[in-house]
Amino acid sequence: MTSTTLPAPAAVPATASAARAFAAKRRRTLLVGLVVFAGMAALPYLVRDVYLQNVLILTVMYAALSQSWNILGGYCGQISLGHALYFGLGAYFTSVLFVTYGVVPWGGMLAGGLASAGVALLLGWPCFRLAGHYFSIATIVIAEIGLLLVHNWDFVGGAMGIQWPFNPDSWWTLQFARDKVPYFHFALGLFVAVWFVTYLIEDSRWGYWWRAVKDDAQAAESLGVEVFRSKMAAAAVSAFFTAIGGGFYAAYVSYIDPESVMSFRFSLLFALPAVLGGIGTLWGALVGAAILIPLTEISRSYLGGTGSGLDLILYGLLVMLVALARPEGVLSLFKRTRTARNQEAAP
Amino acid sequence: MTTQALAQVLASGLLMGLIYALIAVGLSLIFGLMDVVNFAHGEFLMIAMYATFGLVLATQLDPVVLMPLVAALLFALGGASYLGVVRFAMRAKANQGMVQIFATFGLAILLQGVAQYLFTPDYRNVQNTWLGGRTLEVGGVFLPWPQIFGAVVSLAAFGGLHLLMSRTDFGRALEATREDQGAVALVGIDRNRVFALGWGLGAALVGLAGAVLAVFYYIHPQVGASFALIAYVTVALGGFGSVAGALVAGVIVGLVEAFTAVILPPALKSVGVYALYLAVVFVRPQGLFGRL
Amino acid sequence: MIRRRDLLVGGAGALALAGAGLRPARAADEVVVGVLYAMSGASAQVGVDARHAIETALDIVNADHALDLPLAKGTGLPGLGGAKIRLVFADHQADPQKGRAEAERLITQDKVAALVGCYQSAVSNTVSATAERYGVPFVCADSSSPSLHRRNLKFFFRPAAHDEMFSAAMFDFLDAQRAKGQTIGSVALFFEDTIYGVDSANVQRKLAGERGYKVVADIKYKTNSPSLTAEVQQLKTANADVLLPTSYTTDAILLTKTMAELGYKPKSMLAQAAGFAEKVTYDTVGDKLQGLISRGSFSLDLAAKRPSVGAVNALYKARAARDLNDNSSRQFMALLVLADAVNRAGSTDGQKIRAALSATDIPGAQTIMPWKRVAFGPDGQNTEADPVLLQWVGDKFVTVFPDSAAVAPALWPMKA
Repeated sequence: MTSTTLPAPAAVPATASAARAFAAKRRRTLLVGLVVFAGMAALPYLVRDVYLQNVLILTVMYAALSQSWNILGGYCGQISLGHALYFGLGAYFTSVLFVTYGVVPWGGMLAGGLASAGVALLLGWPCFRLAGHYFSIATIVIAEIGLLLVHNWDFVGGAMGIQWPFNPDSWWTLQFARDKVPYFHFALGLFVAVWFVTYLIEDSRWGYWWRAVKDDAQAAESLGVEVFRSKMAAAAVSAFFTAIGGGFYAAYVSYIDPESVMSFRFSLLFALPAVLGGIGTLWGALVGAAILIPLTEISRSYLGGTGSGLDLILYGLLVMLVALARPEGVLSLFKRTRTARNQEAAP
Repeated sequence: MTTQALAQVLASGLLMGLIYALIAVGLSLIFGLMDVVNFAHGEFLMIAMYATFGLVLATQLDPVVLMPLVAALLFALGGASYLGVVRFAMRAKANQGMVQIFATFGLAILLQGVAQYLFTPDYRNVQNTWLGGRTLEVGGVFLPWPQIFGAVVSLAAFGGLHLLMSRTDFGRALEATREDQGAVALVGIDRNRVFALGWGLGAALVGLAGAVLAVFYYIHPQVGASFALIAYVTVALGGFGSVAGALVAGVIVGLVEAFTAVILPPALKSVGVYALYLAVVFVRPQGLFGRL
Repeated sequence: MIRRRDLLVGGAGALALAGAGLRPARAADEVVVGVLYAMSGASAQVGVDARHAIETALDIVNADHALDLPLAKGTGLPGLGGAKIRLVFADHQADPQKGRAEAERLITQDKVAALVGCYQSAVSNTVSATAERYGVPFVCADSSSPSLHRRNLKFFFRPAAHDEMFSAAMFDFLDAQRAKGQTIGSVALFFEDTIYGVDSANVQRKLAGERGYKVVADIKYKTNSPSLTAEVQQLKTANADVLLPTSYTTDAILLTKTMAELGYKPKSMLAQAAGFAEKVTYDTVGDKLQGLISRGSFSLDLAAKRPSVGAVNALYKARAARDLNDNSSRQFMALLVLADAVNRAGSTDGQKIRAALSATDIPGAQTIMPWKRVAFGPDGQNTEADPVLLQWVGDKFVTVFPDSAAVAPALWPMKA
């Protein structure tokens, strides 16, 4: 069902010069990354408005989460619509450990990340036998079961949620009463981490495996790719980073309840930016989030107060149009010329 | 639990299950035809309920009488959705699965916004219908007439669909198209026309469900969401594309939901349905009646 | 349409300007108040009604009205040289994170002097925490979760009752019925699974235990369920003397319909407002709810004791095309209470408004509510916000409890 074509997999270097060119391209990508990230780190000093800083934080956070989703959904081609489960696990681990046991959020995030990776492996074992929509619906259903269980589990606050206590500003507890800049830098750090992991994976054996699995799982298997194991690895890495994002979100909002971290709309929000920007690419999630998040936030803030539904109409139209107009994602607008050139250059 | 209470749960589950099946069958039909999951299916249901509401206000006729009209309106909506949106999603050269999911998902949000814009977010209700509030009592077991009617409509719709698929030219064209999309063009069948009619038919079926639900359910821009996930699970449980599967799975979902609410705390009743879905596909990845 | 587009362009413009931090200076003759409700999504109607209710209060403050309400006579706020109040509405979509972000936007961009909101208790939670951080008073109009005022917040004020006060009134009423010789032995709890229902049920469970009512059914159900048949079946089997439902509108309608379908006629129903205070519920299934008693903050028949009720309702109805209800009356009062404090503070400074709010003392007669008075405790809760119990008789609500506010005695049991 996931009939997808590759955005020209980094062509297997056939000759020494091609290999050198490839290595140079990798270095260039890394350099571009460093420059972009340095520029982004300065953003909150240019944008001093708290509301817009909040939009920036959400944008970078969703970019990081979407890139995490991209590892499984984009590179490996397994369309999960249940990543809210891992997000919620991270948020709940972090909140319960901090509020009930006094463990600093950093520890909670790590614990939540590892637990999520474990859960992803556990669930992957039966789920990766499923194909296409059967897989996607299984992920939705599992996340819904998780939501219902948390909703009815009093130890983690049940429907009442968990309120973070008021704390003095500190990186240690990730609590900042008014200052948004530290949150932005944390979210950016998370994005850079996921980006770098993706960057490393792109040129690793895993990366090639995943793309092979995505293209044609059966053919990949016959060529000796360990399909199942590579899917499991992608799921674990993806879940780990999603949970860290969940922990960050809990610290940022300082209050969580089941609906506000585990509802289905989060699962969609993790997939959308990558799809809009360009699925299975290094920069797609960031580009997609940079379009989607400010647009939805600002249209809600400035149109939503009317209660007329116009903000929904706009949002729906946008999602539809982008999906139809640029199936390869917005990034393909820039890539087209280059891939065309590459193809011409190919013998 | 008394026998009577047991019989009540069984009967309620069965009636609701048949209605779930009617909601789900259109989704399954469209998927079987062209491998597309319509993520705006719940919103089609919502629009059908508003259409019933609006037509009742305008004509002062009963929803039972207006049902064919609602189905016809939804047929037009379904056809238009294919021609206006899905047709282009099918053309995508890359990431076709994603494009279909998000194009129909965008359509869903758009329809919700349009409903809120046109009808306000007020809760609506169809009042003073022939069936509304009437109940048939059989030996202490209560069967609400609107749901009995819904169950009958559902069975009739499945019967009619079976006849349509097996006895008419259109049905054979549908069947041929789902078997081999490329080959049908060679024998002079216009693929786009068949797809548009298929979407119309799928939407008309959910239109019937909307007219039935409008008699005993509230109407709201978000109402589709309550039923959408159940519809997807039903379709997947029965096997994507299998019409008979949708019927059987709908009934199973209705019964499992009713019995889970007795065994587990009612707040967890959906867990039973979800767990059943997982159990089935882990053993049989193509669902009960699906083809791999 | 053009105006809306301008707004969007304005939003983009705000982005561009943000770097320079340019903001138009606030006109000295207006006080900006931020109002946060869900304007889209499942509970959008509450937000739309809230807008009308708060705009009605705004009109009473800003324009001249011959009513015995705070600031009704004359225009604007005399304490600030006749300054007018301006409202800025924001949509939080029932999401705590969005509520928090919108509160921050209103505080930092629109420079609001105070906030009013938010209906959903989870959103009021994050909005009040944000208000606290910025030192901006938050008047919680209609969220009734008791946990909200127990967080040592200095800028949180709730003029209306919370769920424990409401539930206590419900059990006081049951006790009074017992004293009159009614046999009430058992209750059934039926509540939705979000913070609102769970909170309410926790209090009711505790009160039932303390006051000797047997809980024969304790059913938490999933909100917005497609069907409540199995749940109602259990209620029917338990057949308690009193059914205590805590439901939002969708579920209240479905519950009532399902009860009728399954032939279950509860002996009596004592509801925790929300869905059972919404007119649409009665428009839909009112005939099946004859004799239902709901706790409430408000009733139109209070006009007998609160002369302003009729006039305010007429003003509201002209905007919203419906009568004031439990929610909209509280939303209306929230802005009046806030305006009264801003006026006495004579300033838009958060600390000064906070101090004025703490010193609030509005007699019940100057409200449209059955409250004894408006006066906040150190936790920001108005302890004298007496709730009332209302009975649905014919096609309207009749206040039946407490005796001081009652217009008619309660019909008990429900179907009597």
